This record gives sequence, C-alpha cells and structure tokens, in this order.
Amino acid sequence: MSRRRYQLAFLALGWLLLLGILVQRGVDGALGRTFATVRNDVVSFGQSLSDREAEARQRVQSHSRKEDVARAYPTLTAAVLRNPSRVLYGAYDGALPDSFSGITALESRVGEPFAIISIYQAWGDRPDEADFPLRAASTIDRLGSIPMITWEPWVKDFDDDLRPNLPKSAEREYASLAAIARGDYDFYVTRWATSAAQYRKPVYLRFAHEMNDPYRYPWGPQNGNRPDDFIAAWKHVHLIFQKMNATNVLWVWSPHISMPWFEYYYPGDEWVDWIGTGVLNYGDVAPWSRWWTFHQIVEKAYPALLKLRKPIMVTEFGTVTSGGDAAQWYEQAFRDMHEKYGAIRSVVFFNQTHDVTLSATPLNWSPMQEGRAMRAVASAMQPPSHLAKR
Amino acid sequence: MMWSDDELFRHRRAAPVSTASRVLLGVLIFLGLQSVVLFAVWWFRAEHVSNRLLFVLLSTAVWYGVGRILVGWYNFFHLEQPPAKNAPDGLSVAIFTTASPGEPYEMFVRTLDAARGIAYPHTTYLLDDTRDSRFAALAREKGAVHLELIGFPGAKAGKINAALQRTSEEFILVLDPDHIPLPNFFHSVLGHFDDPRIGFVQVAQAYYNQPRSFVARAAAEQTYAFYGPIMQGMHGSGTTVAIGANCTFRRSALESIGGHGIGLAEDLVTAIRLHAAGWESVYVPEILARGLVPEDLGSFVKQQLKWSRGVYDVLFREYPRAFRRLTFHQKLAYFMIGTYYLVGLTTPIYLLIPALYLWTGVQPAAMFISEYLQHALPVGFFGVLIYRYAQRWLCDPPRERGWHWRGMLLKVGCWSVYLKGLVLALLGVAVPYIPTAKSRQSGNFWRLAAVPLTITITSLATLAAVLVRRFYLMSEAEVRITTEVAAGMVGFLMINVVFMSGRLYAAWKDRTR
Repeated sequence: MSRRRYQLAFLALGWLLLLGILVQRGVDGALGRTFATVRNDVVSFGQSLSDREAEARQRVQSHSRKEDVARAYPTLTAAVLRNPSRVLYGAYDGALPDSFSGITALESRVGEPFAIISIYQAWGDRPDEADFPLRAASTIDRLGSIPMITWEPWVKDFDDDLRPNLPKSAEREYASLAAIARGDYDFYVTRWATSAAQYRKPVYLRFAHEMNDPYRYPWGPQNGNRPDDFIAAWKHVHLIFQKMNATNVLWVWSPHISMPWFEYYYPGDEWVDWIGTGVLNYGDVAPWSRWWTFHQIVEKAYPALLKLRKPIMVTEFGTVTSGGDAAQWYEQAFRDMHEKYGAIRSVVFFNQTHDVTLSATPLNWSPMQEGRAMRAVASAMQPPSHLAKR
Repeated sequence: MMWSDDELFRHRRAAPVSTASRVLLGVLIFLGLQSVVLFAVWWFRAEHVSNRLLFVLLSTAVWYGVGRILVGWYNFFHLEQPPAKNAPDGLSVAIFTTASPGEPYEMFVRTLDAARGIAYPHTTYLLDDTRDSRFAALAREKGAVHLELIGFPGAKAGKINAALQRTSEEFILVLDPDHIPLPNFFHSVLGHFDDPRIGFVQVAQAYYNQPRSFVARAAAEQTYAFYGPIMQGMHGSGTTVAIGANCTFRRSALESIGGHGIGLAEDLVTAIRLHAAGWESVYVPEILARGLVPEDLGSFVKQQLKWSRGVYDVLFREYPRAFRRLTFHQKLAYFMIGTYYLVGLTTPIYLLIPALYLWTGVQPAAMFISEYLQHALPVGFFGVLIYRYAQRWLCDPPRERGWHWRGMLLKVGCWSVYLKGLVLALLGVAVPYIPTAKSRQSGNFWRLAAVPLTITITSLATLAAVLVRRFYLMSEAEVRITTEVAAGMVGFLMINVVFMSGRLYAAWKDRTR
C-alpha cells in the first residue's frame, strides 16, 4: 500500500520534473512576456488609481503641481525639451523614489516646481534594476515633470545563476563597454528599451556618464574601455532603442569635463541630443580638491563643448559649504551661466544631503543647508532677471 | 435549505481514490509547491525589509498561513482509504454515552433509540451524573444499562474510566449523546480490529442541524474538509487521531495507557498516548452518525475556547512527553493539530499592520502591492484549486461541497477566542468543562459583538483619518508617490473588516430581542 504510493510518487515526480523543466525552458519566454505586460498593467492600474485619487483631491484642493509646472514652463513638448527657450531647472533628491518630500521642500524654497526630476538606475537583475523604472517615471510625469534617468552599466550586478552565458560577475567589468557593443547585454537593453518605448512620454537618458574618468566608475578607461568602445556601445544601445521605437528617449551624453580627452568619447551629432556634465564644487573636503567656482570648473572645457552645438545640461549642480561661501558660489554661478555660458539650457540640483560615493564622511550638496545660499539660489532663479532668453 | 431525515441519516462513504485523480492531485500539488517556492524567493529578499521587527511579525503571520496550506497539501498527498471490512460475528461490544447536568432529556430519547437500533449485538451504557431519575427510567425503557457515576473528574473521561472498571466488553464506542448512530455503525467499524495492532477506529463526524443558522453552517463548514480528505490523508500517513466524537476503542489499548485521557481535548490526549504506546489507528471515511453543531455564537465561542485551550494543552504537555515515541508522521501531525489555533496569534498581526502604517507611516516591508499580488495570487489560486479538487473525497459532497467562506469568516473572526485559549493554556488557567449547548441560545449583542465591532469601528475611523490626511494635509507629490502603498494598506484594512463581519453578523442574529 505504502510502497505503491511512493512508486506512484516517484513516477509522478519524473513527469513533474519534466514539466518543471518545460516551464523553466520552453515556456519561459512566453511567461516572461506575460509577466511583463501584467507588470505594466499593474503599474498603470496603480497610476490610474493615483489619478482617481488626485481627481477626488482636486475637488477639495485648488492647487495641483502639474498646473504649477505648466505655469512655470508653459510648453514642455518634445521639441522644446530638445532645445528650450527657458532654462529647465531640475533636481535630484536622496529620498527618491520612496519619498518626494526633499523635492517638495526645495521647490517651496525656490518658489516654483522643477521641470526635470532626476533619478539613477543601475543595470542588473535586482528588481529595482531589471527594467525601465516605469512606476517612478509615470509618477514624475503625472506630477507634471520630465524624468531624467542616469543609467549606469554596473554589469557585475547581473546574477551569475541567471546569466550562465555571461562571464562570472568579477570578470565582467574589464572591457565591459566592448561587451555591450558586441551585444552581450542585448537581453537587458532590449527589454529596457521596450518598456521605455511603452512609457511613450519624453524621458532624458544619461547612459554611462563620466566614461572618461579613470577614478570613478567601472566603465571608465581604467578597465580597458577605450573611447572607441564607448562610442560603439553608445551607438549599439541607441540603435536598439530605435529598433524598439523608443524615440521618446532624449540622449544626454555626459562626460566628466575636468578629466582630459572627453572629446574623443563623443559619439556624433545624430546620436546625441544634449551634453550633460556635473558641476560639483568639493571645496576643501578632499585632498585633491579646493574651492573652485562654477566658472573655474567649466571654463576650460566650455569651448570644446560649444563646438558640438548641442544644448548643455548641468546634470549635477551644487557645492559643499566647507572651504568657502556657498551663497556667493551660487550667486556667481548663476551670473556666469547667464553672462558667459548661454549654451547651458538646463540645471539640475544635486539635492543630496548624504553623499558617500567619494568620501567616508557624507557630503551635503543641498542648497537648503544654508539659509543664505538658499536665498541666493531662489533670487537667482526668479524670472526674469537671470533667466537666459535665446 | 433543509434536508429530509431520509437524506441525512443515510450511510455514506467518501468516493474511492482513482489513480488518475491521484496523479492530477499530485500535479496540482507540485505546481502549488512551485508557486510557494517562487513566493518565498520573492518574499525573503533583503531589500523588502523595512522595519525589521514588523517584517519578522508579518512574515510569521504570512508564512503561518502558507504553512497551513502546505499542511493541507501534505495530507492530501497521503490520501488513503481503508478497505471495507466486514465485522466478524461474536465480538463483545459496548456503547458508552454520557449524560451531564443541563443536557436535554429529549435528546437522549432519540440517541438511545438509535443506539438500540444498531444491528450488531452490543450493550449500551448510559454514564449518568445528572442525578435526574428520569434518565435511569429512560435507560431501562430503551434497553440500556444505567450507570450512576457521580463526582468523577474530566468531561466524559472520568465517567468512561469508571465505567471501564464495571464492564468487560472488548470494544467500546464512545458515543456523544447528541449523535444519532445508524444501524450499520459497527458493520463498518469492527472489521478493522482484525489487526491486533489497531487501538481505535475513528469515523467521520457529521451533523444534522447545520442548516438551522449561520453559526451552525459556519461551524460545520470548518469540519468538512477535516473529516473528508484531511483525515483520509492522516489515515494514509498512520496518524488518524481520535477526535470529535464516535471513536471505537479496543479495551486493552485504553487499559495499556491507564484509561481514557482527561482534559478539554480528551480524545486527542487519548490518541496521542495510544500512538506513543505503539497502537495504530484507522479512519473510516463514512458517515455512520450525525450530531449537533453549535447553533449560536455564544455556544460556538465557548466550544472553541474549550477546544483551543485543550489542543494547546496537548501541544504543551502531552506532545513533548510523547514526542520520542511517535513516528515521524505522527510528530508532524500532532504538531500541526497543536498549532491549528495559532490563527489567534497571527490575526492580530494582520490587524495591526495596516493600522500602524496608516497612522504612523511605519511599514514592515518595502514591497509593491502589485508585486505582492503577482507572487501571492498563484499560491492562493492553487490553494483554492486543490482545496476544491480534494472536495471530491468529502464524505457527503452534495451537502458539504462549497467555498466554506462562512467557516473561514468565523474562524478568523474568533481570533480573540483562540488567543484567549493560548493565554489561558500558557498561564495554566483551567476552563471548566461545560457541555456545549444543544439548542440555540441568545445573548447580549454588545457583549457578543465587542471584539468585531471595535475592530470595525477602529478601521472605519482609520479610513476617515487617512482620507483627511491625504486630501488636506499631505503634499500632492507625496500623495502621488504613496498611492499604491496606501491603497494596499487600506485594502488590507477593509479585508480585516470583512473578516470581522461574520462574527458581527452572528452576534446580531443571536442577540437577545
């Protein structure tokens, strides 16, 4: 009686294993697609729920952020986003994407909402990396702003078990850009591009930023990534986006302008919509840094950037307070932008109060940390005095 | 709906287990296990932990629930039915039925009549401590032996043990006085004692009064699967317990453990001791008697308190003592039974978590509700599918098949009762044994509804506060970014309200007018 049961169980197990393998291998693709559509459906359900709630809220609240953005930036069409007549202000905040409170606080100090909200996403298999951040992008869109995604190819984040065709995690970082250009990561880029296309709304994409800095990211030259590799990777990724119809993506080529030879990394006019660069003054917090003004940081590279005839975005903008006068720094920065650097058409604040990427003690880049600095920023941003018109 | 006596009091046996249905069941269980594994892999991601303590609490509650589903599958997997065996002639057989003060006289008329009607030759004993002379007369009239047994401890057990001293039959059916046995009762049971290792034979427990009220239906629904596929699975794994009513014991088995066990879950105590002593047991998936189930909330709550307190006693006292002598499957089975009422501990966690988030913003897990549903729904789907599929092995499918939502509502709704049972067991506070009321009682609505009403009102107040906060106090961006989480938590809050509705409704129906 009992023996028969176990015989049966083993027989069944054999079939079930076969079934399991079928599920794993054969049905995997179809299931993956189904799950992707279901996931997007769920996200859009969440968003429509959010819309319903916002509608209900509208009945008791006169004010909506979307309208505020529209008041500050009357037209944010795709064409305008490629070449705005008014400087587009934006911000990144450390609390994103879980909380919007930092952005809201900064906006209330500045007196107007930001056109661009910047978020970061690494490549990889973790759930917050695996696909285009549809939920965050949709929320930003519904709040009236344009998302900018800094898209970092941390290729070692792909799961060794899930990706048997890739080299082991530790061996992936050397010459990773050439591997991307070769198509090794097409499985990821294609899915991401498909979702980005489904998002449909304009989105700034800042892929593999600071690629010319040998001290920073794994896709830098220290890992055997040559300029040609970067350009090939950029074009390869770009072509996949084109193939997937993700024409809503605006490409922000973003070198480190304080590091040499960045010009050699330029993929070409038809591959780039914007030039982006961080302008962060580290003051005296690091042995290699001293108090540099905005002008001192930008001046040397600017003529080369100007030659590319693309709008320029300061993708990370801010100063620490240690080593100088932050209020004065901001004031002068806005004045310089207005007077000397007319090609800068967008400034994105780096409103990060706990930055530990480069130092053991967290750095605070928020203009809100000092009342005087904040007031300097707010008055500089008040239209029309310092707003460059083209 | 009402059923005729003819339909109810008819011998029924669970449908046989065909190979095809067993294979299909196996496939369903495999797919279900796969969904559980996928759910687990997703659930226990480090980045899901938001508040460590709350995450542990929530995980306990969620995985206790999934664990109960797995327990069901484990039992279904072992499904086995004993072959029908004819009762040999010439066995000496007794029926013990007990009468306690407060039990209605009329009930015994019907029970003793039916006991006399059992075809196999036997002696019926009425174990009586009512001090009511009518009972002795009734016993004489119905051909039963009247034993006046006053002042013995325990519910029935004291009297049963005293009666064992005064009788000599080899096989003893302990018949609950509210149960009306069918004439062929012993024909289905006694044949299984041909194996000398068999210590007791349990039959299905069924009812005839479940259509009479919401509570009766709910209480009955809670038992259908147990006396159907689950006990058949326990038979398959050699873990059939004596439970509920109508268990037939071998005298030498009872004597080997010093008589029937005493406690609030006496039958379970007896079963675990018999198993520990090496006796085996048989489950006969047949309806051979029908009895009463509590019809009103007050009686149901008292019964559930007794049961949970008794089951915890078995878990805390008997289980550790018997542990080493139990088989592997028995160790599992008694642990699973012993933890059945832990819903009293996990429900308050479910009640706490949405309220805590909506009032303070603290949440146990950083999960998107959509992703949660994406992973949890397959588990629920297979849970329900397998539950429904296994219903083909209910003892009386036309009357027992269904979604059993009433039973579920009342079980979760009575969490406070089970929690009380646990606390009393931990503190060692005794719950007096009073036989469950045999007719419908009424009670004060506010007393009956205190727990579910408080939870419902608190939840609605929370909902109102959330709306005010999100519409008037929070910034739009913050509202936008938290819609999914807040909606999910409000959803859980409302699920709690729904789960309390059964007990609330029952309290309303059973209020004193």
